[in-house]
Amino acid sequence: MKRSTTKKLVIALLALTLWSTISFAKGDDFNSVVKMIEEFYNVKHEGLPFLAKAAMKAVGVGAKIKGGEAKRYAEAGSIKLATFENQEFNGDLLKFRQMLNDSLTQSWTPLVQTLAAQEREQTYIFVRENGDKFKVLLVTIEQHDATVVQATVSAKNLALLMKDPEEGAKAITQEATIVDHE
Amino acid sequence: MKLLFHTISRTALIWAVLVVMTTITTYAQDPRLRLAHLDYLATKASETVDVNIDERLIQLAAKVFNDKDDDEAQIKKLVIGLKGIYVKSFEFENENDYSSADVDSIRSQLREPAWSRLLNVTSKREGIVEVYVALNGAEVVGLAVLSAEPKELTVVNIIGPVDLEKLAKLEGNLGIPDLGIHSNKHKTKNEQ
Repeated sequence: MKRSTTKKLVIALLALTLWSTISFAKGDDFNSVVKMIEEFYNVKHEGLPFLAKAAMKAVGVGAKIKGGEAKRYAEAGSIKLATFENQEFNGDLLKFRQMLNDSLTQSWTPLVQTLAAQEREQTYIFVRENGDKFKVLLVTIEQHDATVVQATVSAKNLALLMKDPEEGAKAITQEATIVDHE
Repeated sequence: MKLLFHTISRTALIWAVLVVMTTITTYAQDPRLRLAHLDYLATKASETVDVNIDERLIQLAAKVFNDKDDDEAQIKKLVIGLKGIYVKSFEFENENDYSSADVDSIRSQLREPAWSRLLNVTSKREGIVEVYVALNGAEVVGLAVLSAEPKELTVVNIIGPVDLEKLAKLEGNLGIPDLGIHSNKHKTKNEQ
């Protein structure tokens, strides 16, 4: 009887875990944006699954190496990162922007978007509420490289990001990618 | 029959007046400009910037501006009550990469009675800067800046109680570009 109850409990837990994983994947715009970039530009991102856990630790190490106090925007452990390196990002900028906005603007607010057509550079900053904090989704696409970063930030850091979106976006991307350079 | 015609005409007239009044009120209450049609310029522009900060985000930013810092405290005071800040800016490599029709498409939305022009600076070398306010009665409910330089087109649209002085202080913050509104105010006499 006891064994049967334990078994049921394990099965229920497994089912719950599986369900929550599926639900998370469904509502995960980070993954859909990465997929969208891959399909639109016919490129492949580099999988760095350990980054989510390691990134914040690395930022601290990175700051120490630099000998200064690096400004932290993202909450510990909240960073998701996908990078695309040495690939060709040829495609209609406006078409991509439209596609990205169409897919995200129902659940995200497009805070700042910049395009440089000649340099084929695009930056997108989307924001959405996440309890008493905010989720920020940053998409940076250049001629040969791209980065997608999703991070949770406090209200204070979101305000800092709004004050100077360009610098804030750079800092968050740097936080997420610094581990890659070490 | 005549009486019936007269009644119908009068009713139609009243409805027409009501529709016009409603439209005017609606415009006055929602001074958000439609800017999406300018997006095609992004392919010609060397740089395009789009800023969308809605009321929730503005109030959030206002909360965390530091009261002890004079500049931040001043900005905090300015942004309280604002309902949106929207900026669209294009920088071009060459002159005439955007057309007067593009400028007119914005200007046509900034017509009276919903909008009043507050400032107009025209300089052959530097282009035009026009500042408009949207009024709902005596209350300012929005502001628009149209800056059309030979190689740059910028539209700033602020929703909420804002005036020229506030705008000048907000320049360089919350995605609002430095439009030199203060200096333009003085330039008006010389260059207009």
